[in-house]
Amino acid sequence: MTIDILCKVVDNFGDIGVVYRLARALSELDDAPALRIIVDDLKAFSAVCPEVDTRRPVQTVRGWTVLPWSGDSGILASFGAIYEIDPARIVIEAFACGRPEWLEAMLFDPADGATKTIINLEYLTAEPYADEFHLMPSLTRSPLVKKYIFMPGFTRSTGGLILDGPFIEALARGADIAGRHQRRIDSARSLGIAVDHAMEQNFWIVVFGYERDYARIVADIAEFGRQRPVVVIAAAGKSQPCLKTAWELAGRPFPLEVPPFVEQQTWDALLVAADFSIVRGEDSLSRAALAGRPFLWHAYPQDGTYQLVKVRALLDLMAPYFEARHFAPLRDAFIAFNDRPADGQHVVGTESILPVLRSASSLQTGFERWSHDLLSLGTMAAHLMTCIHKIV
Amino acid sequence: MLVTSQLRVGSIFKVGKDVLVVQRMLGQKGGRNGMVTKMRVKNLLTGGTSDLGLDSGEKFDEVDLDLHNMKLSYIDGDTYVFLDQTSFEQYELAKDDLGDNAQYLTPEDDFDVEITFYEGKPVGVVLPIAIDRTITYCEPGIKGDTSGKSTKPATLDSGYVVQVPLFCDIGTKIKLDTRDGSFAERVK
Repeated sequence: MTIDILCKVVDNFGDIGVVYRLARALSELDDAPALRIIVDDLKAFSAVCPEVDTRRPVQTVRGWTVLPWSGDSGILASFGAIYEIDPARIVIEAFACGRPEWLEAMLFDPADGATKTIINLEYLTAEPYADEFHLMPSLTRSPLVKKYIFMPGFTRSTGGLILDGPFIEALARGADIAGRHQRRIDSARSLGIAVDHAMEQNFWIVVFGYERDYARIVADIAEFGRQRPVVVIAAAGKSQPCLKTAWELAGRPFPLEVPPFVEQQTWDALLVAADFSIVRGEDSLSRAALAGRPFLWHAYPQDGTYQLVKVRALLDLMAPYFEARHFAPLRDAFIAFNDRPADGQHVVGTESILPVLRSASSLQTGFERWSHDLLSLGTMAAHLMTCIHKIV
Repeated sequence: MLVTSQLRVGSIFKVGKDVLVVQRMLGQKGGRNGMVTKMRVKNLLTGGTSDLGLDSGEKFDEVDLDLHNMKLSYIDGDTYVFLDQTSFEQYELAKDDLGDNAQYLTPEDDFDVEITFYEGKPVGVVLPIAIDRTITYCEPGIKGDTSGKSTKPATLDSGYVVQVPLFCDIGTKIKLDTRDGSFAERVK
């Protein structure tokens, strides 16, 4: 079986990051399909998958055929033979990205009487509609091109979350304190950060959010740091310069590491090893939830602050795993941190993470319980293949 | 071609040989790249209905239809009778065939609707995007209301219940968006 996975890079590395992880997870299955990944931004792809050569529109990476979304007639002709031998029959559209013109022509070729199946892999959400929309039939303009909605999610009525081998391994290695501390050393060293024994014992905070004024976050971390030494790692991305600016304006009140781009395996290890994280978007949310460590989610801003609907839905799912008195400040922080119409370096919120940091060890139990349940949902890759086998 | 975002209750489109009419819009959800619209469609050839989730970017073949301007003449049980304003012929549509639109109409309306005909038979109705309706019941909006709610339910003269801003009162005329049955604005 061959699956074509389509991806248009819209938001930084989130879209291609999910596609990359999904491709890895699918390739690890016993009945692994052959994969063709059609992407419109090789530079973004190479950032998450360093083996990708940005100069080559057609290439083989990790056994996957990587193809361009568009190109001149010469480039398109160069891989036409691939589809003559192995036509497109199963297509995954990542996040309703649409289809490139050349693939559209193939799928809807009136001379081809074979049935094709398109699966729209939607964005991760905790909103209740995920249960309802999962595996919902859809339509295209041809009865020979069937389509279905596939909803990643946090419940048994959805497609679950992506779990790949390296991440499962990271979870196992970080399962105890000694393992976590070792992961800290390994991750930090791979990022060029010098770690001594004292630093290893500190309270580790990883920040990967969107742009905003991080003054309140810095102030809370500094205050917390007076009772317990901290180390803050500002992952490369939109939040890094904003956090650094706030930290400098506050007089550099704690150690702050500002590494270059963190590749995925190191990022996963950091999430598992950290005591607290600020994560953004859906891909990192998924990893943070599975990691079972306390975190604050920075949701992508949407019109009419719709992101608050998504945040509240997530909090409603999380709440049963926590004691109410510990969960209340976490809930308040989630909502305050996400209550903004847009992002920008001067966006100021009312968030307070100090109570959250102070009760991190109590919150830890709730995050672990939730993670345990999420891990029991199984892997999205397996669910996707089960769905495909039923439909096709 | 029709794109999903152009489909409304009463829209008719083709998938291969199947001719489908949209009967109900059941909600829109989605992320940053576009919406998935859940709708109930009826296959005009088989009579079967199904609930589907359509991506905003999908395109469908249009159907050659006859459209006639009519007014709702009267309602007899579950049968809606329309009067062609040119020929003065009457045509009947079952309430199910009107889908969501059945909730928005009254025989007292003075606006025209489009009845779509497929192979000589009336198969659906398309309303103007916004129509005027009058609130017949709602709770009064209370000054200084600090409940945090910004809307309240209001019953319209068609019997439909819609969420309206707190300033609306019994007798207030509003524009109803027939694409999703929501409050559009107060009629000035």
